[in-house]
Amino acid sequence: MPAPNAFWNRKTTPLFPFALFGGLSFACCQYLIYCYAPTEAVMGLMQKIFYLHLPLAWWALFSFFVVFLGSVLCLFKRAPRADSLCAAAAEVGVLLSGLALLTGMVWARKSWGVWWTWDPRLTTTLIMWFVYAGYLVLRGLDLPEGRKTRMCAVVGVVAFLDVPLVFISARIWRSIHPAVFTSKEGGLEPEMKLTVMACLLCFGFLWAAVVWLRKRQIDSLAALDRLARTGATAFDATKE
Amino acid sequence: MLRMTLAILRKDVKLTLSRGNGLIQALLLGLLLVFVFSLSQGIGESLSARNAAAVFWLSSAFCQVLVFNQLYALEEVNQSRLGLLLCQRPIQAVWLGKAATGFLMLLLAQCVFLPATIVFLGQNLSGPLRPAFAVLLLTDAGMCALGSLLGALAQGQTTRESLLSIVLFPLLTPLLLAGTGVGAQAFGTADPDGPGAWLGMTCAFDAIFIAAGLLLFPFLYAGDD
Amino acid sequence: MDTTIWLTLANAAVWIGLGAYIAFLGLRQHALSERLAQWERLQNKHDKDD
Repeated sequence: MPAPNAFWNRKTTPLFPFALFGGLSFACCQYLIYCYAPTEAVMGLMQKIFYLHLPLAWWALFSFFVVFLGSVLCLFKRAPRADSLCAAAAEVGVLLSGLALLTGMVWARKSWGVWWTWDPRLTTTLIMWFVYAGYLVLRGLDLPEGRKTRMCAVVGVVAFLDVPLVFISARIWRSIHPAVFTSKEGGLEPEMKLTVMACLLCFGFLWAAVVWLRKRQIDSLAALDRLARTGATAFDATKE
Repeated sequence: MLRMTLAILRKDVKLTLSRGNGLIQALLLGLLLVFVFSLSQGIGESLSARNAAAVFWLSSAFCQVLVFNQLYALEEVNQSRLGLLLCQRPIQAVWLGKAATGFLMLLLAQCVFLPATIVFLGQNLSGPLRPAFAVLLLTDAGMCALGSLLGALAQGQTTRESLLSIVLFPLLTPLLLAGTGVGAQAFGTADPDGPGAWLGMTCAFDAIFIAAGLLLFPFLYAGDD
Repeated sequence: MDTTIWLTLANAAVWIGLGAYIAFLGLRQHALSERLAQWERLQNKHDKDD
């Protein structure tokens, strides 16, 4: 008889280093943010939120990219495990982009006096949030497994193809020409740059741990559902 | 493939138009939207050109959702979908046929929505019309390419109208912006940039989503459920 | 409002959001473990009966 938690422990191990390192290093990043990086001249203390805002936005976009890659694998390589990765990445992506929008809104309110402005980057993030929230609704539907996998994979591919188009159209809409591609990071001091990079990296570890954990949960849930359907013989097979 | 596409186009147009109910529901919904927005104008006022163009495209988008739901619902009865799948032709012909039918239906509906916008929302066509017409056709083509692909997705769902809308609308944003931008110019808003940038954008959108439709449609339609 | 209040607000939003998601994951994990334990109890009973 297996120990009650052996099923988990065996597969939990690769998760811990990521979670531990992500958590600890992110705590160190707080020091970098508030003590090491200089306070910005114009925006003052409020600019500190940028060190959280940027990793949130970038890792959200990366999550959506993972959904795209996973969907392509699902469709063309028929890799069933990619489906749970897509589900996990989409969930985390919606969460992170939602938080990036929230922090951005608070920042904009303090710095510019408005909650929202139709900047192409903001618009694109908002539209992506809507698209992937719809994707999660699709995932929540009660459908035959194979059909749902294919449907979600198709939407996952189509949604990511839409990202650059949304961005370009938002630029044209506000008459901001693609030629003036001013980079926000261009004017950063070296200390600020280092802090942003560190935050970005540490957030990556947290991201990986959370996505990995969620993917395993989804896989396990599916395995348990299958067991419940097929009965004890399948259980013996998984023990081996 | 082209013959099958034309056959599906003929069949769907016949079925949709002969049943009467087909296009009328979509038309009424779009007209209602235009009318409701016209109530927001005070006496003697008229909506700005941009607002009017946005209302026009909103009506078209809702109309399109209903049209594609209806087109794919045609095969839900009697397992007719299997009949289409058994034809020894590329499955993409179904996508193309439905997209072409949807395109025709949408154009027909817009022939009603455009005068309605002009009348109810107090607009006049004083801008450059030729590029506006080109963008209208390109936008419709893109909407139908994507609508035909995702219409297959919602097939057989009890909540298909709302499902299709929440997945489709955000994806259509670039097209709706293009349509509204150029529509506003056609209604007389001066824009120093002209419609050129939007024309390029809609072409890119159409190319990407026609390719995506051709590539991805078989996965959605030929599933073994 | 003071800058620090805005900054705290933004930080709170992020950590509450992340915390809520991790709590949600924890709950799911708990439910999964319980289902698994139940399944194992049933399996053991089944083995003994044999």
